[in-house]
Amino acid sequence: MLLFFHLPTLTKTLLISLVALLTLIGIMVRPFKLNEATIAMSGAALLLIIGLINPLDVLTTLSSDWNTFFFFLGMMSLSALAEAAGLFDWLAAQAARLAGGSSKRLLLNTFLLGTMITMVLSNDATALILTPIVYTLVTRLRLPVIPFLFACTFIADSASFLLPVSNPINIIILSSFRLDLWTFLRLLFLPDLVVISINIGIFFLLYRRQIQGKFDAKRLPSAAESIRHPAYFRYTCTALLLIALAYIIASALQIPLSLVASGGAFILFFGALLWKQITFKDLGKQISWSIFGFIGGMFIIVRAVENTGLTTQFGQLLIHLSGGTSFGAVVVGTTGSAIGTNLINNIPMAIVMRAALGAAGHVAPTTRLGFIVATIFGCDLGPNLTTVGSLATILWLLILRRRNLDVSGLDYFKVGILVTPLMLLAGALTIWLLLL
Amino acid sequence: MRVLCCLDGTNIEQISRAVSTMLQPDTRTIGLLYVLDSGPLGEIERQRERFFRGPHPPMARREQMRQAEQASTRDILEEGNRYLPGAEQLQREGRPEREIVQCATDWAADLIVICPRSPKNPGPPLGPKSVGHVARFVLDHAPCAVLLVRGTEIK
Repeated sequence: MLLFFHLPTLTKTLLISLVALLTLIGIMVRPFKLNEATIAMSGAALLLIIGLINPLDVLTTLSSDWNTFFFFLGMMSLSALAEAAGLFDWLAAQAARLAGGSSKRLLLNTFLLGTMITMVLSNDATALILTPIVYTLVTRLRLPVIPFLFACTFIADSASFLLPVSNPINIIILSSFRLDLWTFLRLLFLPDLVVISINIGIFFLLYRRQIQGKFDAKRLPSAAESIRHPAYFRYTCTALLLIALAYIIASALQIPLSLVASGGAFILFFGALLWKQITFKDLGKQISWSIFGFIGGMFIIVRAVENTGLTTQFGQLLIHLSGGTSFGAVVVGTTGSAIGTNLINNIPMAIVMRAALGAAGHVAPTTRLGFIVATIFGCDLGPNLTTVGSLATILWLLILRRRNLDVSGLDYFKVGILVTPLMLLAGALTIWLLLL
Repeated sequence: MRVLCCLDGTNIEQISRAVSTMLQPDTRTIGLLYVLDSGPLGEIERQRERFFRGPHPPMARREQMRQAEQASTRDILEEGNRYLPGAEQLQREGRPEREIVQCATDWAADLIVICPRSPKNPGPPLGPKSVGHVARFVLDHAPCAVLLVRGTEIK
């Protein structure tokens, strides 16, 4: 509407900032338990309706990020189809068997399995599919649930920068800043190994008493029990191995990874239909459709903010704070992303950082690289800081506790606040050393 | 005397020893209570919401989890019955501390027998933090007498 009226630039900037700010606050606070996607889409719709962003601009923004949308779709489908084959249950049963009755080894195997799943099928698969499987397993074994549950929760984020496909956040950032596979691995693989080692080490220290002793291996389900249809299971395993290989080749050749994820999902879906293991409706239920609205809404809002020049100023501020050095870039990028991700969720934070860094102007290549890598690192690992969701949730839990209500979420927060800063520090230091 | 014994899957030896030492079989009615902690399930729900999914895992997965929980609860209570034959089995689901207090009221318990912490997570034998949050809550809110069974290491 306002497109038909002339508005002074300052007024337009103020209005866009207000809508963006209210949207971000809405995502943090979630009034009336509103879904984040509804809030993001409402903000974007408001900008569009009152004419603060051009419809053509909206279309261009959304279509230019097709790789992100299709990657999310492919990734979620792959996980759902692999789950339908019973792959995760089978892997968990094998991990438990290999533990040989030792609780300590079972915890270690949970970490290793989580790392493997996150690396190939992203953090989403570990957090959402592996966690309930591990819960079922340790409940059957009558082991303390918390250390194993937390192992899944933490490793889903800790192992999510081993490969570009390990976290969709990586795809969001890499869609704007093309890093070749070698540079990605050189700067993030080793730091991730450091982070994972610290994660495992601290967990073994924290839960040393709970994981003492043996479990009765007779309580374990047989691995064969997990396989629902042997032919589809074999088909899924072979397809996933090929998809993993295709991911690496596509990353090396800088081919959009969404093509591999969606293509792979299509191949698995074909097999699932052939062996009648899933229906189109069932697959649709496993996919979070609201995430597309959330990402789309955030893309539009950040685009509108970009048009005002605010992201350029934010980018310049980041560069200024870093002092133009690679060390500063890693510190500012990691800290800013990690804190931001706990305030407003890691997806909007990654989009904001991407826009800011893209518009930051001329900087030394090493500093720019430092910022990009630190943004991936901070946005991927940051959510571990407040495992219950966000700082806003934590504040709410603290208020509840003051009213003498028992809140288990705070117990989770205690672990996050202890483990994550150490991992962030060690990882950031390793990245900086690798940048030198 | 109606005695409510709070089991956690690891403490039956300590609990049964204390009950057998203190009360003659003909003067007691034993209830064995196991509370399935809903905290970990809450964590799974929070994780799902973080990844933009509905709070509950798919139906088949939920059923699998439910079966594991029931099997484990049955095991723990049956094990309790081997140590304290003839005891009534009681099972609840929720926050353990609240469920224990509520169950003691509903079952009209005269005595709650509880360990200060799980033997798997003993903590210091005496002094601050020697009593875990579940036992602490029960001590603070129980509608009857509470017998706190400490570990043997105090001796």
